[in-house]
Amino acid sequence: MDAAHIRNFSIIAHIDHGKTTLSDRLLQRTGTVADREMEDQMLDAMDLERERGITIKAHPVTMLYRAKNGEEYELNLIDTPGHVDFAYEVSRSLSACEGALLIIDAAQGVEAQTVANVHLAMKQELQILPVINKIDLPHANVPMAQQQLEDVLAIPGDTALLASAKEGIGIEEILEAIVARIPAPKPTGAKSLQALIFDSYFNTYKGVVVLVRVFNGELRPGMMVKMPHSGKTVEIKEVGSFNPKPYIREKLEVGETGYITANIKTPREVKVGDTILDSKNPATPLPGFQEIHPMVFSGIYPINPGDYEPLKVAMSKLQLNDSALTYQTESSAALGFGLRCGFLGLLHMEIVQERLRREFEMDIIATYPSVVYRVQMTDGTEKEVDNPAFLPDVTYIEQILEPVVKAFVICPNDSIGDMMSLISEKRGSIQNTETMDARRVMLSARIPLNEILIDFHDRIKSLTKGYGSMDYEPDGYDPSDMVKLDMMVNGEVMDAFSALVHRSKAENRGRAIAAKLKEVIPRQQYQVAIQAAIGGKIVARETVSALRKDVTAKCYGGDISRKRKLLEKQREGKKRMKAVGSVDIPQEAFIEVLKTS
Amino acid sequence: MITVAPISFAAADIQPTTSVLAAAKTLPGPLVESLYIHVPFCAHKCEYCAFYSAPPSGDVIHRYVHALVKELELVASRARPKTIFFGGGTPSLLTLKQWETVLEAMHRLQLLPAAEWTVECNPATLSIDKARLLRSAGVNRISMGVQSLDESLLDRLGRVHSREMVFRSYHLLRDAGFRNINIDLMFAIPGQTLDTWRKTIDEALSLGTEHLSCYEVIYEEDTPLYEQLKAGEFDVDEALACSMYEVLVDCLAENGFQQYEVANFARHSTSEAEVCQHPFIPSWACQHNLGYWRGLDSFGLGPSASEYVDGVRSKNWSNTDLWITQLERGRRAKESAEALAPLSRAGELAAFGLRMNAGWSFTEFLARTGFDLRHDWSEDMEALISRNWAVRGEDRFHLTRDGIRFADAAGACFLRPEGSASQGSKPKSRI
Ligand SMILES: Nc1nc2c(ncn2[C@@H]2O[C@H](COP(=O)(O)OP(=O)(O)O)[C@@H](O)[C@H]2O)c(=O)[nH]1
Ligand code: SF4
Repeated sequence: MDAAHIRNFSIIAHIDHGKTTLSDRLLQRTGTVADREMEDQMLDAMDLERERGITIKAHPVTMLYRAKNGEEYELNLIDTPGHVDFAYEVSRSLSACEGALLIIDAAQGVEAQTVANVHLAMKQELQILPVINKIDLPHANVPMAQQQLEDVLAIPGDTALLASAKEGIGIEEILEAIVARIPAPKPTGAKSLQALIFDSYFNTYKGVVVLVRVFNGELRPGMMVKMPHSGKTVEIKEVGSFNPKPYIREKLEVGETGYITANIKTPREVKVGDTILDSKNPATPLPGFQEIHPMVFSGIYPINPGDYEPLKVAMSKLQLNDSALTYQTESSAALGFGLRCGFLGLLHMEIVQERLRREFEMDIIATYPSVVYRVQMTDGTEKEVDNPAFLPDVTYIEQILEPVVKAFVICPNDSIGDMMSLISEKRGSIQNTETMDARRVMLSARIPLNEILIDFHDRIKSLTKGYGSMDYEPDGYDPSDMVKLDMMVNGEVMDAFSALVHRSKAENRGRAIAAKLKEVIPRQQYQVAIQAAIGGKIVARETVSALRKDVTAKCYGGDISRKRKLLEKQREGKKRMKAVGSVDIPQEAFIEVLKTS
Repeated sequence: MITVAPISFAAADIQPTTSVLAAAKTLPGPLVESLYIHVPFCAHKCEYCAFYSAPPSGDVIHRYVHALVKELELVASRARPKTIFFGGGTPSLLTLKQWETVLEAMHRLQLLPAAEWTVECNPATLSIDKARLLRSAGVNRISMGVQSLDESLLDRLGRVHSREMVFRSYHLLRDAGFRNINIDLMFAIPGQTLDTWRKTIDEALSLGTEHLSCYEVIYEEDTPLYEQLKAGEFDVDEALACSMYEVLVDCLAENGFQQYEVANFARHSTSEAEVCQHPFIPSWACQHNLGYWRGLDSFGLGPSASEYVDGVRSKNWSNTDLWITQLERGRRAKESAEALAPLSRAGELAAFGLRMNAGWSFTEFLARTGFDLRHDWSEDMEALISRNWAVRGEDRFHLTRDGIRFADAAGACFLRPEGSASQGSKPKSRI
């Protein structure tokens, strides 16, 4: 297809605003999928994605549409990951497009997730096509949604299309607007092939399938191409597109979207954002490539130490389709062998843990998550620390920088007070407050990433009875007074509980964990001191009093068997305990505390 | 370990063929010198009690007595008891007539006389005639379940007797000619104060018994007392329980009692030393119970009774009807049997022997089990010694006064469970 008849677009929407329903309608209306083949919600593949309302992988679909002007157009819908944890992936998928549909629920209005994604799309200079969906709902409020478009996103409200994806209203208009308002792709004018890699996935038969958007030149089987950032040169085996199932094509031309396969075995050989170039006559790569770096780290341990190998296998399988996921072996005195894993963000971390549990049936426990700190040393060097265990000696530390995010919180008016105190409790500073409509406001705040890791989202949900929403985007690093908090039993540090925390939080956290540990550590034959320490200074202390006796008061002939079995059990139990110094602690106790802290 | 699963009721007609059970049946072999007989009846169930016993109904005691005679007949050829112990339940609940039937059978089966023959009595169920009958038949030791000498605590525990009955029964027993009397006492009873406990000890001492068994309340599952504890009706005061124990040990020592086991204290008299002279065991110690802690073979008859014969520990059904029915058909009513591997058996013996203040003589342990504590348990002994829980002598290893308070933790290190990694290899255990 010539570039003038191609449109590449993605859809930005808050969860449940109707992205999937609308995509399905577009597939139907263009005849890409026959009505009777139409399984509801074709595009969302993974259960977990469905449940959480987010898409981790980009799914491109190619549709052919005969417009009112009588001409046929190739419309490529690139379904982008819906969460800023995957901001880089999102930015790459968006940069494969010239435009984006922005869906807003007519009854709900603009939500936080939408704001962050629209900002990304605007940075990419995409043509944004607002669609106010669900106008069939009795409490639909189109003027409100239009007003919010203007106020919050600076998009003229009257440019919005009105639709009901469910009822099939306005679908034609959307398709026409895509043709009319989204620009056609233009060749870059470079001397040869340039194709952007915006995602990849693993297929057992084909190896790595690379998703691409051709910006210049064309892709055909048999071509030798190279990928400058990964340094690989391969011969293309197959090219194709999706409808939504993959189908083979002769070639992919300028402006087109699809896939290629080559002899690529592991997804890590392909980097999202890299450019595919002609190997003999390479043009310059497209701009915007970044190595992706995990933002959040946490140790994942099998609850049953024998499951370490299966855990590693499961993780390597996950990594096949999730190249942003990193892991390496680590070990903890309390938890045995496990993996230190790096994630793009909180949601990514939760998804990986959830998939390990669900798809691989692994019984796992995760340690307190940590962000990546930049530690500036007195000698002028800088170290990145994602594991409190590796924090250099404080005497050599000049200062510690922590990652900060810009968070968007949208909440009902009557929870503003609660939100503001929550944000300040989380060491955040509010930068902007905007009225969304008669009942809601949007707060923008800078908050240390570390503070939103644990319960920020849950707290918002509970303070606003479920009406609040939150999203965030990275916003650089700030100097911060971070300290290492260690938990000790009888003077021995329990590594599983060590964490870098802000000085203002350390004491409370130390106290809370100490109190919890006191509940779960069984009494021993001597007193056990549980202490929280910041760099050697004790900030909290609890005592598990000594067991003063351990003897069956009465034991005669008839009891011996029963008693022996009890003692044997006690003995077995002790074997499963982790010795921290001289104190025996059941692994369950660690798990109990990690679960709740 | 070979454990025979409980034999189901339906299988009652089928003679068990399992080798372990076969071994548990009495076959020719060395004579067994200890005999325990369980009498599963009580006038009223005490709040704390988890023994197998219940108030009798109909003619069940009558049928029990005949079944017991039957069971005695089945083991008689292997039994030449030096110690006999009638426990329960409340053996003194049997009528004179019923006792005569039992005693007659024991005589006929040449199970008498025994050097030590104990019968447990409840102070509420003794008469001078019954006492005389038992004494004349050869019973020479009475163990009285007293528990407390405080009326309100007796009520609290659901005991059927009063304080007065204790004193009356005690004198009655002396009058009947018993020279070896034990009293069971309990401490850390909910509501008991250190003072009432002191008073009970003093009063018990002034009676002048030869032996005292004093144990802390045990909260056994399925007892009313346990349910009350779980329901939060009272709290356990561990510190108080410990003080009571300390008071007990000191007080009894000052009054000429020697502790020889966690819960057992006896007088020592060189002239009257009747049974044996063991350097660390007082002369009035209960020989029968010592046999358990020393790992001697013993028959156990009556419902729920356990026995240890030919390396097999087995247990009768805790079901009086079933037990009677089986014996009426001419066979013993075994619920289960287990035979431990030699090392496990030795470990068990080591563990439970440590409950005795005498501990173990290395040579005696070696002779009894074929294993040497100095080899297979040396690390465990060292660990206990380093905690001041135990002392090692030339030919002796025993717990200290502190160590006795942790006899379970100490004993657990000596176990050698089958199938565990430590079986057969050099064990390393932590305390
Ligand atoms: N009434 C009404 N419901 C809709 C409309 N579009 C989608 N929905 C419903 O809204 C819910 C969420 O839609 P879905 O497409 O899954 O949203 P997504 O999470 O953005 O993909 C589903 O129950 C849809 O049936 C619409 O136009 N009108
Ligand atoms: S008298 Fe003894 S056996 Fe009977 S119920 Fe009371 S404690 Fe239990």
